[in-house]
Amino acid sequence: MKIFLIGAGQVGTTIVQALHDEHELTVLDLDPARLAPLANRYDVSTVEGNGASRRVLSEAGVASADLLIACTSRDEANLVAAMIAKAVAPRTTTIVRTTNPEYLDVWREGQLDVDFIVSSEVETAHAIARTIGVPAARLTDVFADGQVQLVEFDLEAGCDSGVLDVPLREARVPEDSKIASIIRGDTMILPGGSDELRIGDRIVVIGSPQAAQEWGALIAPGAGKVKDVVVFGAGRAGTAIARQLLEQDIGVRLIETSRERARNVADELPGARVYHSTGMDPDFLDRERIGDAQVAIFAMRDDMKNHYAATLAKVHGIRFTVAVVHEAAAMEVLDRAGVDVMINPRAITAEEIVRFAHDPRTQQVAMLEGDRYEVLDITTRAGSEYAGKKFKEMPIRGGLIGAIVRDGTAIFPHGEDVLRAGDRAIIFTESSRVKDVERAL
Amino acid sequence: MREATRVRGVGRPRLLAVDLRGSLNLVGAIAKYLSLTTVVPAGVALGYGEPPWPFLLGGAITGASGWALERGTSGDHRIGAREGFLVVSLTWLVAALIGALPYLLSGESQLDRPLDAYFEAMSGFTTTGASVLTDVEGVSRSLALWRQFTQWLGGIGIVVLALAVLPRLRVGGRQLLESELPGPEIESLSTRIRDTARRLWFLYAGLTAALATVLIVLGLTGIDGEMTVFDAFAHAFTTIPTGGFGTRATSLQDFAAVTQWTITFFMFLAGANFALMYRAFIRRHPRVFAHDEEFRLYVALLAVGSLIVGVQLWAEGIETGEAAVRQATFQAVSMMTGTGFVNVDFDVWPVLASMTLVGLMFVGGSAGSTSGSVKVVRHLLLGKILRRELDQTVHPELVTPVRLNRAVVDERTLRAVSGFILLYIGIFIVGAALLAMDAARTGLELSVLDAVAASATTLGNVGPAFGPAGPFGSFEPFSDVSTGIMIVLMWLGRLEVIPIVVLFSRHYWRST
Repeated sequence: MKIFLIGAGQVGTTIVQALHDEHELTVLDLDPARLAPLANRYDVSTVEGNGASRRVLSEAGVASADLLIACTSRDEANLVAAMIAKAVAPRTTTIVRTTNPEYLDVWREGQLDVDFIVSSEVETAHAIARTIGVPAARLTDVFADGQVQLVEFDLEAGCDSGVLDVPLREARVPEDSKIASIIRGDTMILPGGSDELRIGDRIVVIGSPQAAQEWGALIAPGAGKVKDVVVFGAGRAGTAIARQLLEQDIGVRLIETSRERARNVADELPGARVYHSTGMDPDFLDRERIGDAQVAIFAMRDDMKNHYAATLAKVHGIRFTVAVVHEAAAMEVLDRAGVDVMINPRAITAEEIVRFAHDPRTQQVAMLEGDRYEVLDITTRAGSEYAGKKFKEMPIRGGLIGAIVRDGTAIFPHGEDVLRAGDRAIIFTESSRVKDVERAL
Repeated sequence: MREATRVRGVGRPRLLAVDLRGSLNLVGAIAKYLSLTTVVPAGVALGYGEPPWPFLLGGAITGASGWALERGTSGDHRIGAREGFLVVSLTWLVAALIGALPYLLSGESQLDRPLDAYFEAMSGFTTTGASVLTDVEGVSRSLALWRQFTQWLGGIGIVVLALAVLPRLRVGGRQLLESELPGPEIESLSTRIRDTARRLWFLYAGLTAALATVLIVLGLTGIDGEMTVFDAFAHAFTTIPTGGFGTRATSLQDFAAVTQWTITFFMFLAGANFALMYRAFIRRHPRVFAHDEEFRLYVALLAVGSLIVGVQLWAEGIETGEAAVRQATFQAVSMMTGTGFVNVDFDVWPVLASMTLVGLMFVGGSAGSTSGSVKVVRHLLLGKILRRELDQTVHPELVTPVRLNRAVVDERTLRAVSGFILLYIGIFIVGAALLAMDAARTGLELSVLDAVAASATTLGNVGPAFGPAGPFGSFEPFSDVSTGIMIVLMWLGRLEVIPIVVLFSRHYWRST
């Protein structure tokens, strides 16, 4: 497939990493300094110029593109690029990244001529809301309209002993769920019945939402439903997160440094309690009993402020912290600081875009551990070597089927179940083996 | 040399920042047209075989004066927000003059003193309903109708009427309307202010016609033997503007219970927001009532007021059954909407019931209605402001906008609401004190409650008070000084204080 990528920032770079192998990529950006490292590292062609210019796009050959991805940080530039591409090459599929959730609404109502639109803020908010929904989860994702949930847990001291140190076939694991992988240090295990879970493992579970909840209860016994969340920073990300949580009937307190911004958010979100404060003033934290909140989310624009504020909030008694991270390096710093969940909006956006750009049969893709592992949602071909086989008879080839969706309903297969052609299989696999898996199915 | 030339080029400072000529010109124009309305009572006079000339002559005098004022101040004008206050304030003073002249010219002995006639006219146009007449039934039919008709003209606003019919107000009309209908925010029913004014008048006239029809039917079918066609029109003219002038010495007491209930219902409507009613009745979205916070509070306050009074009446054995419910509801609605009709002598009621009625005088109807006083929406907003104040005492960093019907109310409006209520209460207290002092000077027997009620009733454009000016009483016993004070109170109350008070600030008249 011929893909045009406009914007070589963090989102663009992540997309290039995921797609350069299989596709013919042309990357456009105004800044040659961002293009050079891409051109050096990957086999992609780069064009220096304005992606929202018809001349530049035409000269770069957009007329022959199959897919155009506009993922600069400027919404309007992205939209204009997509509109021009549609006009020049009506067959081109267009994907636009936006930071403004309003465009998402307009697009859903069919008033924007774009094939797919991704809002970093909304995706981030969804990701965080899902995580908060399952206590103790590091990361969660959903497939098949929410019927299948993917959850990543770290096994720490204090988790239910019924699942530890016993062969999995004997462990009391929740029904309708499957451990898709165990990550132990640098090795990844696709578990069979004889493998065991140990403290310090990171596990990936695929299961029903109900099972995900049960897993959460096993990993962190005693964690109840979240009702009181504090969000630091009411920028676009913070606002989107607050809105999402409010929709789920979770009480939200928002802390914002800028008076004007605080005022606007208070106008916009009647359900939230908005405070005008830096969030780093111990008196304030104490007076407002911020430490009593169940979850604190740090959504300020500055990773360093999030780092400091998260540490301070922990000092004040917050147990569970979630941070929105912007620079890749901040991930490790915040991890070291004891932040429980970190979410990178750009990575999420890239992931969402890559999902769409994959094999047309592949409906959705989740990336884990950076981009080392992926979860695919693939429809089984009639001629597939797996079709008609029982699950226990399938050879393990670097992938594991966690769930299948048959006629719109999710099934969590046992050994005796049979995979049929037309089933959507939700598969955990290493990124390097994605092609093998796609071919096999 | 050069410097000297430059300084000369600066010119002399302007004396006034307000276009006085333009304002007077507009007032003259409005007076000219308003004088035309005297043909209505003149026609009635002819019909009843009474002399029409007091109305025609009065109208001619004021009309000619208005015309002269307009001619004398013609030229280039600049009518903006500033001029709006002056125009509206003056217009209402002039309107009362137009209303008073026929009283004087008619030779009616109860109104032959200019101040009394002016009081009666001001009470009419401001829809107060306070009267210096001691024998209402003694005046001629045409004069009685003119009293009623002035209330109808003043009801929704003279400027609103002018806006609807005068083409020259196409520009600058919005400021004028906002000065006359000052509620926290006027809701435009149309993008053009002229259309808004027309729609308001259409609804106003429609409601009046509906009430008149119902009353005529009640009279003709014999359900209410007392209700003549004249009474039907007379009461329709004063119910919809929440005025309160009646045709009987006993106001509505002698009319049938059905009539009293009918009037209660229409008083209730007249105290509701006209923009809301327009949407509900004409655009057929009746659900707007349920969604409107002010309307809900309006209904709730009426219900609570009626309940307190009703329980008192029943418990004290003053009245029972339907009569107790009717009297309590009627008086509560009448006092709260500022209509001022009376169906029972509430002067003899127990203190809690009387105090409730005085309290309701401070509530008023909804914004965008014809009623006076503070208005429900301001109480609603004040309550929200106070609640937020308490919240922020505990949480100093909390940022919470005040919302009305889910929309955020801007801080300036909130300040204006608090400011208005303070000013209103202040003026009320000064008014009550002045009336009490003047009563003591002249030896008029006026209790504290009477003085308080007299100040509240005139400032709130309600009508009856207690004591001498009680339900079936008259304002005649008050001295000229008190009459003057109450004229000012009615004028201030009708324009909701600010547009008039602002005229007394130095910064209004100067550009610096």
